[in-house]
Amino acid sequence: MNLAICLLLARRYVEKSHIRTVVEGYAGLSDAAFERTFERDKDELRAMGVPVETGSNNPLFPDEVGYRIRREEFELPPIEFNASETLVLGLATRVWESATQADQALAAVAKLRAAGVEPDPGRVEGLSASVSAKEPAFDTLWQATVERVPVSFDYRGEGRRVEPWAMSYRRGAWYLVGFDRGRQDSRVFKVARVDAAVTPIGRPGSFQPPKVDVEGLLSSLEPAAPDAEAVLAIRGDRAPGLRRRGHRVASSVALPPGFVAYQVAYARQGDLVGEVCAAGPDVLVLDPLEVRAAVGRQLAGLAGVS
Amino acid sequence: MASKEQVSRLFALVPYLQAHPAAELAATAAVFGIAVRQLVADLNVLWFCGLPGGLPGDLMEVDMDSMEAGRIRLSNAEYLARPLRFTPDEALSLVVALRTLGDLGDPALGDAVASAVAKLERAQGTQHPATIGVATATGSAEIRRVLNEAITNKTVVDLTYDGLARAETTTPTVEPSRLAMRDGYAYLDAWSVDRNDWRVYRVDRIADVRPTGRPAPDRGEPPRFDPGWLDQLPDAAEVTLVLAESARWITEYIPIRHTQPTPQGLQVTLLVSDPAWLRAQLLRLGSGVLRVEPPQAARSAQESAREALALYQSLGLALQE
Repeated sequence: MNLAICLLLARRYVEKSHIRTVVEGYAGLSDAAFERTFERDKDELRAMGVPVETGSNNPLFPDEVGYRIRREEFELPPIEFNASETLVLGLATRVWESATQADQALAAVAKLRAAGVEPDPGRVEGLSASVSAKEPAFDTLWQATVERVPVSFDYRGEGRRVEPWAMSYRRGAWYLVGFDRGRQDSRVFKVARVDAAVTPIGRPGSFQPPKVDVEGLLSSLEPAAPDAEAVLAIRGDRAPGLRRRGHRVASSVALPPGFVAYQVAYARQGDLVGEVCAAGPDVLVLDPLEVRAAVGRQLAGLAGVS
Repeated sequence: MASKEQVSRLFALVPYLQAHPAAELAATAAVFGIAVRQLVADLNVLWFCGLPGGLPGDLMEVDMDSMEAGRIRLSNAEYLARPLRFTPDEALSLVVALRTLGDLGDPALGDAVASAVAKLERAQGTQHPATIGVATATGSAEIRRVLNEAITNKTVVDLTYDGLARAETTTPTVEPSRLAMRDGYAYLDAWSVDRNDWRVYRVDRIADVRPTGRPAPDRGEPPRFDPGWLDQLPDAAEVTLVLAESARWITEYIPIRHTQPTPQGLQVTLLVSDPAWLRAQLLRLGSGVLRVEPPQAARSAQESAREALALYQSLGLALQE
């Protein structure tokens, strides 16, 4: 703290020997202890985002290294929020369920309060949001992404070396997008499948993420566009997931009372078979025969008949 | 010796105390998310901080008389009047939280979030690009708008709802109370007039909402959603499944109590409160579930499968290619 204040107030680079005499706590130390403590303090300041700059005041003797902190790089610039922005900032501190990120969001809002912004939670009725991160590997991958540290981890039993570019929270699950060094290509990893033992294999900032279309890479996670159609008989108000995707059609066979035929588009037969089976006797496949047969096999396996 | 977290906090605490003269101890601790005892420890560190030189007049001063009365007065620290910039971690944690809120509310709230995020990013400079994204399932903006209106005006609405567990469309009459984002999905907490109790509806499953204009009586606060509620259901039964490779994906989507690899497959234990839900999962996974314990937990799925097979037979629909 005192080191930072000293460097912040200085108009020029402060040499190490001078720092040692003026900064509280350094004066009584032996040479070796001072070197160690000073280096550690300087690294810690940088790690918490304090921009400690190295340079020399004397262009003729550039070896005389000194340190300083530029106030404009240290301080949060003036920032003002209108009433509705202030309101959402107040709510935002309550969103994270994961303690690490909740603390970080709270620390950010505390800095805004220190800068004179007064977020006011509790004025919005009937609204609450939460983001969770239960995945064991989440915290280390988040840190690595924020600090740009390349990492290695096991993914479904395979070793990967990855430069983490970005993370994305989609429908309750976290994904990591990065450059897979082994495969020399970008890859998307589901964080739930990353083994918790994530190891850093480089220094912070040791790679620069390219300007990639992260959303484009993640679009491979969305369901594929349907390219086939099936005709299903659905009982009454059952199986809304299938009904909403389809439209009513005439049936070629006489259906039991309460059933209506729907034409439903699908992308992967396996997914459709699972969905139809899950509905049990409430959904029947009329066409195509291939899908009907697959459903028949799965139901027969469950019913214990062959 | 001050820890890294402590020093990092002091860079915000010192300007905060100058912007809030005579701040209350407890309120200040709450702002920084720490215990009062920790705040006092922070203030004790400040006694040793100040201008280089270390003379008594150079150090920050905390008024001890005010402290006794529960208030903090800090002086001699004018050179630290503004907080340190955000760390990338702080900025991203806050921005992700804001974006999640923005996806939930009405369009006006979404605009407030967008402009607040833009201001934060401007203040932070360009060194930290948007490395964290959020995509949520919140249903249609129009449905959320009508629900928000009903919450604000305290009125009754009719829903068309595609139920999840029982896979059935129903038309409940409800009194909307709260919209909540949990695990990437938007939920409506509402009082169900038909059930005479609180119910939770997933907003992307609400196919339609029709305002009735009727005022809703005051029902108090809906029960707080507790992520651990599954563990507390009194009538939930423990079921163990052994999953083949093809069915392992389900462990990422349902709450599992224990997992254990076995030679046959992955053994998972879960709590089941709704037999209809378990029946649907077993039917969906088919031969991917190698074993069910206790075996009678699978009986309802077996009966459903037989019933479905009988229907195919009665309609004369062949099941062989």
